[in-house]
Amino acid sequence: MKNLNLQTKAQNTWCPGCFNFVILWAFQEAIRELIKERKLQKKNLVVVTGIGCHGKIYDYLDLNGFYTLHGRVIPTAVGIKLGNPELTVVGFGGDGDTFAEGIAHFLHACNTNPDITMLVHDNQVFALTTGQMTPTTEKEYKGPSSPEGKKTNPINPITLALAAGASFVARSSATHKQHLKRILKEAIVHKGFSFVDILQPCITFHNTAPYLSKRIYDLKKERYNPRNFDLAFQKALEWNYSLDQKSRIPIGIFYKKRRETFEEGFFQLKKPWYQVQRKVNYRKLFHH
Amino acid sequence: MRKTILIGGKAGQGIAMTSTLLGKIFANAGFYVFNYRDYPSLIRGGHNFNVLAISDSPVFSFEKDYDIIVALDQNTINKHKKYLKKQGFILGGKALKSQKLISLDLERILSAMRLPPIFGNNILIGYIAHYFGLPLADVLRVIRREFGKKADVVSKSIKFAYGIKLHHQEKVRKKRKKKYFFSGNEAISLGAIAAGLDIYFAYPMTPATPVLHYLARKQKEYNILVVQPENEIAVINAALGASFAGAKTMVGTSGGGFCLMAEACSLQGMSEVPLVVYLAQRTGPSTGVPTYTTQGDLKFALNIGHGEFPRIVVAPGDAKEAFLRTIEAFYLSQKYRTLVIILGDKHLGESHFSFDEIEKPRVQSRDFLIKNPSPDYKSYKITKDGVSPRTVPGIGPTVRASGYEHDEEGITTEEEFKVSQMTEKRLRKIESIRKEIARLDPIKVYGRGENLIVSWGSTKGAIIDSLKKLKGFRFLQIIYLEPFPWLQVEREIKKAKRVFLVENNATGLLGKVIREQTGILIKRKILKYNGRPFYPSEIIKKIK
Ligand SMILES: Cc1ncc(C[n+]2csc(CCOP(=O)(O)OP(=O)(O)O)c2C)c(N)n1
Repeated sequence: MKNLNLQTKAQNTWCPGCFNFVILWAFQEAIRELIKERKLQKKNLVVVTGIGCHGKIYDYLDLNGFYTLHGRVIPTAVGIKLGNPELTVVGFGGDGDTFAEGIAHFLHACNTNPDITMLVHDNQVFALTTGQMTPTTEKEYKGPSSPEGKKTNPINPITLALAAGASFVARSSATHKQHLKRILKEAIVHKGFSFVDILQPCITFHNTAPYLSKRIYDLKKERYNPRNFDLAFQKALEWNYSLDQKSRIPIGIFYKKRRETFEEGFFQLKKPWYQVQRKVNYRKLFHH
Repeated sequence: MRKTILIGGKAGQGIAMTSTLLGKIFANAGFYVFNYRDYPSLIRGGHNFNVLAISDSPVFSFEKDYDIIVALDQNTINKHKKYLKKQGFILGGKALKSQKLISLDLERILSAMRLPPIFGNNILIGYIAHYFGLPLADVLRVIRREFGKKADVVSKSIKFAYGIKLHHQEKVRKKRKKKYFFSGNEAISLGAIAAGLDIYFAYPMTPATPVLHYLARKQKEYNILVVQPENEIAVINAALGASFAGAKTMVGTSGGGFCLMAEACSLQGMSEVPLVVYLAQRTGPSTGVPTYTTQGDLKFALNIGHGEFPRIVVAPGDAKEAFLRTIEAFYLSQKYRTLVIILGDKHLGESHFSFDEIEKPRVQSRDFLIKNPSPDYKSYKITKDGVSPRTVPGIGPTVRASGYEHDEEGITTEEEFKVSQMTEKRLRKIESIRKEIARLDPIKVYGRGENLIVSWGSTKGAIIDSLKKLKGFRFLQIIYLEPFPWLQVEREIKKAKRVFLVENNATGLLGKVIREQTGILIKRKILKYNGRPFYPSEIIKKIK
């Protein structure tokens, strides 16, 4: 089988050397492999993107796509899945997008478990709006909106997702492209809400590359078992997203469990709605 | 014959249920019925009442002038007795006090029948039905239809009530054709079902909530899906997602929830993913008076969302129109890939109306999807009428939707030529829609006369009923408010000698729209903004 072309005509406008290129590559590779393995069909794949540098990935993928609003990737993706349960839906969001503007949707998706994948380009900064702090930015970060330094601690999306009941919680890093590809494949195949927090240095506004590369280690190499919730929580607490000097940073699947998806709870969702035919008798409607 | 019955009591005493059931009984017996519901925002206690207007000629409103007060508590009598007609009477239990009271010993009856207090309502219903000489068998037929398996106990209490000696009996003409009787909210739900609704998304908010409940109950019967997401932002974005994937979707809310949907309405404009919104107005601003009515959101509906994009706003005036116009809303939204706002309010949604017939809708809703798109399909093809043929993901070619400005393929663009080209493509839809709705009666004119009343939405009922007593008046109802049928409106207004604007709001919003669209200033305004609908007599008095 020829390598599937996922390229579009769009001119890429990310900064040269941006780690988004790595995420784009890893995703394309993951898709190609899944298609080869017959776990996915291109025509049934839909990507949903937020607004930010990450969102531009919409233009660089020759796939069905919905370039939605800032913060609204998840509800849009859930809607697409409800609209046609046969589709594979993958959302791309920023950390600002997902954890600031859209955090309510994130927590509810962890809880309700729609069968969608949510990939967060977590560069710990609002990149497209020129470097303001986000909820995952470390304390003391000096940006254009916080010249005296950020006053509060970062949130930890991994513990958040676990506490909210997510059925697939993983972290990877754009600095580790093979790892990323592998995790993306597993996330897309998982039935239920799959969340991958992708650590991503922003070479222009928040370059964590040196920090990350020294501290990241792969959970798989520790023979870590992602079926144990308590252990997952402990592991998630190992690094709290502040750029402290002591911590090591685990990447890999923290937790994974098959449980009923949101759509499986609805008897109506058997096939795409556009194939559903109904005949309505007006008089009968009114029980007249 | 025209009789007005008020039924009042505390929240939780089943006031609305009782009134609606009585309404159904009268409609089944061939009477025209209008049922108004008045309740504060609380769950137990307080004071709720319904008013039933029953007539042998069409009736779409009521007057605060009651023939009968059915009182479930003393408060009802204290509050409403001043509006009881001279010859009127009050019906209620033994404990109540009033010179006009016809008392029934409900406690004794119920304990003898071993029934809980709520069944007292059925005794009252039975008494009223008997009082108007309705055949018992007909009443029991309605009970069976409404209660199914639980009909037996209800029937038993109704039968018992028919055995109570009447203090008097009304002479009414018998046997007329039975009437359709339903609320605006039921009509919108049924209209959506008739139009092929697949998924309804909503977050509870009065007065749109009854649609959520009704459709949720009907999921099995019609194979539809009802989803209640975490907030209105999720509601509308999920609806756009589902619609993109090929489901016919509708969302429902009131002003506050619609505020939260503003950004996604704008996304609809850019992405051209079809969407129907039911906006049920309630008295604002803010939380306002949550369970009362208004027409305060007209400008909001006309302007919601940033940027310039086509939209359709349709305002039904009664329940039958709500049904038919909802079918049109789906048709137009799918055909033109637009946002369609069905603009209703508490008074339209929660009142029941009666009709002789339901006409066939003028359009047949369908999805307008191309099922065999070519491999070079373009999601935003530039066309003469502005409408890009639509397909869905999963069929074959890449399908895109975007809130970012895009080219024909849906790929982002910021190029000056393309930006204006796409803006023009979208805006061309407005004229295409205008042409289409010209044949859907965007306005209606009732009655004859050289003078004109102009209004929109749920004021229709009181205006129609007031026309009977106003000599020389026509009524212009504007149903499609966007694209605004300005030519027809201008023609009607210019023909008229004296023109009155009637609106259920404080600033005459339709008047402002008419001025913007036609240049005509209507100076005579009859406005009401206390959360209550118009009574015909108010309109008549203000005009005279
Ligand atoms: C409702 C809304 N608010 C603000 C913006 C402006 N805005 C565009 S991108 C962005 C931040 C993006 O940050 P993030 O989601 O972290 O993505 P990144 O650019 O870092 O990939 C903001 C605030 C917007 N588009 N919409």
